[in-house]
Amino acid sequence: MRRVAIAGAGMTPFTEHFGLGIKDLVPMAVSEMESHVDKGLNRADIEAAWFGELSTTDGFPTGILADTLGLLDIPVSRVENACATGQDALRNAVYAVASGHIDVALVVGADKVRETSARTTFWEWMGMTRDMAWDFPLGLVAPANFALHVQRYLHEAPATKEHLAMIAVKNHRHALPNPKAQLRQEITVEQALNAPIVVEPFGLFDCTPQSDGAAALLIVGEEVVDRYTDKPIWIRGFGLGLDRVMHQHKIDMTTFPATKKAAARAYAMAGLRPEDIDVAEVHDCFTGVELISYEDLGFAERFEAHKLVEAHDSSIGGRIPVNPSGGLKAKGHPPGATGVAQCVELFEQLRGEAANQVEGAKIALAHNIGGPTAVSAVTILGSEKG
Amino acid sequence: MSKLVALGTYLPPWGNEKVRVPGLDEDALTMGVEAGLAACSASDVDITKVIFVSRSLPLLLGGNAAALLGGLGLPQAVEVIEQVGGAPAVLDAIATATPGTLVVTADVDGGAAGGAAVIGEGVGLESRGRVHRSLPVRVEGRDGVLHEDDDPRLQRESGSRVALQALNLADAPFVVAGLPPREAASFAAPGAPALPVQGASSAIFALAAAGESSGSHVVVALEQASASAVELDGDVFTARVEPVAQPVEKRTTHPGEIKVALTAYDRAFESKLYWQAGKCPSCGTLALPQRYRCIECGEEGTSELVPLPRTATVYTQTTIRVPVPGLSTPYSLCVAEMDGVGVRSLVTVTDAPSNSAAIGASGRMVLRRVATRAGVPDYGYAFSPEGHVDRPAPSITGGAR
Repeated sequence: MRRVAIAGAGMTPFTEHFGLGIKDLVPMAVSEMESHVDKGLNRADIEAAWFGELSTTDGFPTGILADTLGLLDIPVSRVENACATGQDALRNAVYAVASGHIDVALVVGADKVRETSARTTFWEWMGMTRDMAWDFPLGLVAPANFALHVQRYLHEAPATKEHLAMIAVKNHRHALPNPKAQLRQEITVEQALNAPIVVEPFGLFDCTPQSDGAAALLIVGEEVVDRYTDKPIWIRGFGLGLDRVMHQHKIDMTTFPATKKAAARAYAMAGLRPEDIDVAEVHDCFTGVELISYEDLGFAERFEAHKLVEAHDSSIGGRIPVNPSGGLKAKGHPPGATGVAQCVELFEQLRGEAANQVEGAKIALAHNIGGPTAVSAVTILGSEKG
Repeated sequence: MSKLVALGTYLPPWGNEKVRVPGLDEDALTMGVEAGLAACSASDVDITKVIFVSRSLPLLLGGNAAALLGGLGLPQAVEVIEQVGGAPAVLDAIATATPGTLVVTADVDGGAAGGAAVIGEGVGLESRGRVHRSLPVRVEGRDGVLHEDDDPRLQRESGSRVALQALNLADAPFVVAGLPPREAASFAAPGAPALPVQGASSAIFALAAAGESSGSHVVVALEQASASAVELDGDVFTARVEPVAQPVEKRTTHPGEIKVALTAYDRAFESKLYWQAGKCPSCGTLALPQRYRCIECGEEGTSELVPLPRTATVYTQTTIRVPVPGLSTPYSLCVAEMDGVGVRSLVTVTDAPSNSAAIGASGRMVLRRVATRAGVPDYGYAFSPEGHVDRPAPSITGGAR
């Protein structure tokens, strides 16, 4: 398989884009990506596109991508894989380029969460993602889906709600310099702990906001990368992992087996270990999910994730900075865009151009977990070809 | 003349000692099932007929029989009579029932409760007369609008008193059902037991009081201007599920509707109502919900439904406090692990205030109306944590289609 690189990356700000539709956000993200391609991009070079979109707003997704970008003469595929959607779109594009079938691919991730009222959006999604007879009527809303894991984790591990609050504080602080982030306000542990409870044990500040946004990546084969940039970022490894769908079939809810499988595949492909990672964007739709993921990704020993937080090891300047962008928690979480935007952040980190730069970062990891905690994607990027 | 074997009573744990209110996940069917299971736990009668008497039948179209039989763990071939009626109708149903009949009743409004009676080879129970007269002081027709007369003396003098006189009883009855406690006492013999309810199920509570007092007793049930009397000729055991009342937790109901997929409803119905898991005949592994491919050995298409245990332990739990369209918050969910078999199920927590079923708590699985979806009562099992509602160990644990 030939080597594949990211030659350009861009994204819209993540926020409540009431004034912009999916047909605006997609071309805005691609134009921003285009403007960051060092040696310029002729759109006619793009041979195929993959579009990660979880929900469908304003109609037929692949048609919207082709139409709004003026790319009517290339094949476009839509990928939907819950919160792993964006990274899975990237994975499919990388396969196509690595196979040698095409040289240049476009990856776009986007979602327009705030097209419906804040109260009903996630509930509407539940109607599509829950067992209709057994789970849906119970009101298993998205935060509850993760809370069932985190409650058990807090029961078995020494971690406490204070550690969840410390993650919220960290990710809010990390988002401060990020112009693309949705929540750029510092909070305190006390604020986080005293916030209204959404779903036990998550208070308001433990939860991602509802976000709109789009992100785009230009994926190229190694033979053509020089046409676009002298500072490409290399796809070193990727993995997708699945797990049982219903909570009652997950034997140990203190861990996400989907993440472990995805990470094992990505590390093996890259020939790297967890201790080689310099910076990571980790799925923190809820703070406790970031905590558990430290262990599943190999950044911490089992039930010792809280030690990373206590030692500020996962903060900028620490041993393994996690979510320098602010993460889903503070940067925002339009699901289809999220995984792509994590790679936008890591593209900038590995080129030394990030708003919240981790000094000297050479290897980076992106992670998503979702779809009732039944699918995970992990992507490992590097500034060296490896 | 019939032979009464056992009685069952149920009071929901919500409200106060004067008036019980049903939980948001309870209706006449679930309360009737609670009482029915209690009554059946105290007898070994093979039930071949169920008579469900209530003024609050959950469905007027579409039928309640299948869910009722499922909750009671009775085969789907059992005869079911759904009858709109009050306390006199309950006494009549019992007095004329053939052996093998389970009479189930429940009230939702004006004091929630359930009651049940098993008829077999037991204590003699004979009608001592009935009268049907019309004094429509409270009426509700097909328009669903309640009209109430505001003259309690009219009810007392032209309703209760005239009906009681029409029965021509030799002495004042041992107990009177269907009236508020003070009114009931005024028409009954001195020392009559006070009943906690006034609706259809008060007939069962009255029989229970008579059955627990030695000797032969006349029980009267009144409703508006109609009455029925029976004489119970001996002791009858009552399995009582009558928890201490706890204040109703304040919950906010949010506008919206939980859509229903009747295809999924139909596929899951038997398993959800009879509380059964699929069992792989090849390796014996249980799976809930039942599945085409065995979760353990991969055997396909041969799974058979078998009853699940009704006691469980909380593996994990959470409480939802944000508004959810069509639901009332806060509410708690838990992953409950069935004792002895390791099968888990994501279920709602019932009978207790939200956030009170901690990890490791033990409890029982009980039939509840888990949701109302586009008008369809969606019945299933909920986790009732120990310490809120004590129930006799059920002898009925599932049935087959």
